[in-house]
Amino acid sequence: MAARILGKVVHSLRSPGVAGAVHSCSRHSFASAASAAAAKPAAALRSDDAGMDEKILKIPLTQPDFFNLSELFTMKDLFEARVHLGHKKGCRHRLMEPYLFGSRLDVDIIDLDQTMDHLQRALNFTAHVAYRGGIVLFVSRRRQFAHLVERTAQGCGEYAHTRYWQGGLLTNAPVQYGAGVRLPDLIIFLSTLNNVFQTHVGLRDAAKMNIPTIGVVDSNCNPSLVTYPVPGNDDTPISMELYCRLFKMTINRAKGKRKQMELIKGI
Amino acid sequence: VASNCKVKQNVVRSVGLLKTLSNFTRPRALTVGRLYSSETGSSTEEQPEDKPKGGFAAAYELHSDLKGQPDFPRSSRQDASFASLLRRSPLMQMGPAKDKRVIGRIFHVVQDDLYIDFGGKFHCVCKRPKVEAERYHKGTWVRLRLEDLELTSRFLGANTDTTLLEADAELLGLLEGRKGKTKE
Repeated sequence: MAARILGKVVHSLRSPGVAGAVHSCSRHSFASAASAAAAKPAAALRSDDAGMDEKILKIPLTQPDFFNLSELFTMKDLFEARVHLGHKKGCRHRLMEPYLFGSRLDVDIIDLDQTMDHLQRALNFTAHVAYRGGIVLFVSRRRQFAHLVERTAQGCGEYAHTRYWQGGLLTNAPVQYGAGVRLPDLIIFLSTLNNVFQTHVGLRDAAKMNIPTIGVVDSNCNPSLVTYPVPGNDDTPISMELYCRLFKMTINRAKGKRKQMELIKGI
Repeated sequence: VASNCKVKQNVVRSVGLLKTLSNFTRPRALTVGRLYSSETGSSTEEQPEDKPKGGFAAAYELHSDLKGQPDFPRSSRQDASFASLLRRSPLMQMGPAKDKRVIGRIFHVVQDDLYIDFGGKFHCVCKRPKVEAERYHKGTWVRLRLEDLELTSRFLGANTDTTLLEADAELLGLLEGRKGKTKE
């Protein structure tokens, strides 16, 4: 099942030599060995095309909000989607305390001012990864939203994994799926817990494999290993739909922008 | 802080679904404007009067509030800060969830179990009542009496509470007189 989704992909890297990337998405050695041979950028041979590629990749990094993602959501939208509602005080994780606004009658309230900022960063990062042709993997072990997450991934042309996470999925990929597998460049956890309220194994594995992660962390989650945590509610359908919609729009927007840039620069 | 609660008098409201929650203002909101500085989300104060809120009456009042909205200094909804949005949200205004009357909508049905969403973090699951059983289907508006917003409990030897990811409410009956979502 997982093999079908994260299948063996030998993907040609678009620009193997871009240094100074804002986000350190390091390519993995087993992937690059295979793909360098199959890499087809003839652009590397011609300097003007290489310059074009450089420009296409450098220009988005010049502005803080190149993809104009702040217009996608407002504080009001988050509030209406009940993103600020956390679990009861007894379920609180100690490390989530900085992200909480307070607690009302034992119910934790997540600070949406911080969430806005974190969500903006997470979406911006997703957009940049998608712009550069990175693979995004949506992970969520909530059965209630499994179909929604899979539909989201399908809607933006990326991947989703909402089933049982096999132990060596990331850490033992070349053995389990064959040599030359390309691992995701970004993993988005729409819920960082698994079905027994423990932190999802994928978080730790992604950190081991140097894959950046975005995670929606509720008040009972551990935000330690998440690269771009987004404190927010992950239990209500309306808030999950909001996140899925936002990520899908971001990725589609970034991919569209990339096509646009290539057309413009190609003129 | 006790004096703040006295301002909210005789206003019956309910915790409906999101559309009513977010656009909610109160006719006497002008007086509330003075109370900005004392707001916090962490107050554990209870409302001095525990009013049972009639579902339909409150919902109707909600919608009529929406129509005649005067211009406040903070009238542009985009500029409302999180703290003020929170303070004015029905979930905060309602106080403790015990014995509050709310309305909810059935969003899923599994034979005799009705999954009802009333605007909180979690849904509640109620058994289909024997009387007028066939009228309870997906999309029906119902009246509930809340017991708890989230069923949690700390078991022996555990570090954190165990949560059932469900709210607890008792089904009172159908909501009469509501035709579709818009009242206008």
